[in-house]
Amino acid sequence: MKKMSYKEKFVQMNKEAKATWIVAAILIAYWWIAGFGTAGMDYTIFHMPGWFVLSNFGVWILSIVLVWVLTAKVFEDFSLEDDEDETTKE
Amino acid sequence: MRIFLVLAPVFVFLIVMLAVGFVIRKRSQKDRSVDFSKDYFIGGRSLGGFVLAMTLVATYSSGSSFVGGPGVAWLRGFGWVYLAMTQVLAAFLVMGVMGKKMAIISRKIEAVTVVDVIRTRYESNALANIGAVLIVVFFCGTMVAQFISGAQLFAAAAGINYTLGLFVFALVVVAFTAVGGFKAVAVTDTICALAMLTGLGVLAYAVLDHGGGMSNIMTTIKEQPQMLEPTSGGAISVRLLISFWMLSGVCTLGLPQSLVRNMSYKSSKSLHHAMIYGTVVVGAMMLGMHLIGVLSRGVIHELPAGGTTDSIMPHLVVNYLSPIWAGIAIIAPLAAAISTVSSLLISASSSIIKDVYQHAVERKGERADQKKVARFSIIVTAVIGVACILVALKPPAVIVWINMFAFGGLQTAFFWTFLLGFFWKKANTTGALLSMVGGVFAYCYSMAPGIPASFKVPLYGFHAIVVGIGLGLALFVIGSLIGKPNNEKVLKLFFPETYPDGAKIEAPERI
Repeated sequence: MKKMSYKEKFVQMNKEAKATWIVAAILIAYWWIAGFGTAGMDYTIFHMPGWFVLSNFGVWILSIVLVWVLTAKVFEDFSLEDDEDETTKE
Repeated sequence: MRIFLVLAPVFVFLIVMLAVGFVIRKRSQKDRSVDFSKDYFIGGRSLGGFVLAMTLVATYSSGSSFVGGPGVAWLRGFGWVYLAMTQVLAAFLVMGVMGKKMAIISRKIEAVTVVDVIRTRYESNALANIGAVLIVVFFCGTMVAQFISGAQLFAAAAGINYTLGLFVFALVVVAFTAVGGFKAVAVTDTICALAMLTGLGVLAYAVLDHGGGMSNIMTTIKEQPQMLEPTSGGAISVRLLISFWMLSGVCTLGLPQSLVRNMSYKSSKSLHHAMIYGTVVVGAMMLGMHLIGVLSRGVIHELPAGGTTDSIMPHLVVNYLSPIWAGIAIIAPLAAAISTVSSLLISASSSIIKDVYQHAVERKGERADQKKVARFSIIVTAVIGVACILVALKPPAVIVWINMFAFGGLQTAFFWTFLLGFFWKKANTTGALLSMVGGVFAYCYSMAPGIPASFKVPLYGFHAIVVGIGLGLALFVIGSLIGKPNNEKVLKLFFPETYPDGAKIEAPERI
């Protein structure tokens, strides 16, 4: 667990929130592109329309992968309690 | 004989729910004697990642995820599953954006409800009280609707009458919630989520088996070519899809029943794990159930006589599953309703006890007597629950309205209040008040049926959420620019990164 001051935690949490929004934006963009972008193509995957599998199974798998990357690479493990003095810096 | 076999798994499930409530009550006695509200309304901030994910997803998934949605998917086809997948953000967004800030600040100010946080951030009792009233009204409307749909389903599957079905299942929910509090809600939610996944598996197997496999089912579906398109032959417009990205996607961040869970978990790691588990489960449920709805077209070719699309899933369970499996499958939608109701019930009760009663006592400079708080909390939870059951017996028309307004209304009220309150330093009381009142009014007005054409808000094919959220933002910004900024102490607590090193951070005085 990383030791951080109250202020440092907020700087980090702003970064985490921004990264979460980026992941959401990627998923929304992927969903539109994979769905409408491939809907005109006549192919099937597991007997289902190709656009459907790519966009729906795709967005689900992509969301799991991206959230995992988010929590492993961007999010920091720090205490939610006041683990130092009451100022913004230790 | 069939009725007993169907009911056996359901009764076992309901007994387990009740047992969890009583066991947790017994185990929590020590914590409750110290700080009753913290334990009863927020589970002592002790949830781990798995339970946090399950309680969030189970609360979010209501009976409609298992009955209404898949029924429409049966009619519309793959386009409806596509639309349902806008819910892929519902678990990780609220936790990733709001989770840690809410956890840290609520510990600092000892908040146990979302209204506590609003009161501190905006220093306004008026705003807090409006928030509390909206929560109680919208939650009660939703609870009644969930009781009705759960009881109808239970009655249809078990072959018993509606009133008996309602009393059996609704009283169990009210009982375990009232005695066990938030921790019981979280644990039963976890059991409910697992039951939903099990039901999903059973239904998937039944559909594939009775439909003669994917290839056969798809041959039937292809007879309706519009079912293969993302717009379902024009029935699902691009504007509707954009609206759903707001209603079931981005704006789920503003649902108070999700936000409150950000104050209930143990550590950063719990949150990180919950974001992953939650995303796996919410995707599996939404994709799985709606896809089952589409594929059931290969089994149920026409609407059951006298039925609507809401009858498709019950029809599938009753006619295509053996009694024991039907009992197991019927638990899934019941669990979805139970987990939603229990969470709303404990939150509605916390709004009355913590945000109104306890706040009034503390304003006088006294500390509320824990024994009194305990007694009141359990009584209020039970009374709200029983009142909702009684209303569900003969629901007045207004309940249909409240339920229809609830989901988007809550989002309109709380989305900007929380998002801007935590991420925009200039957000202030005037902006939040204007946005909450104006946004909710505009949303409900745009949704309301029966308004003469010349007074109607033109939606141009969009859902009313676009009006509520759009106007809510405009009013918030205007109000914040013309109103007074909030107290420096509050801003230091919520935006320490904008102050020089060494600035003193302390909880502001209670108002």
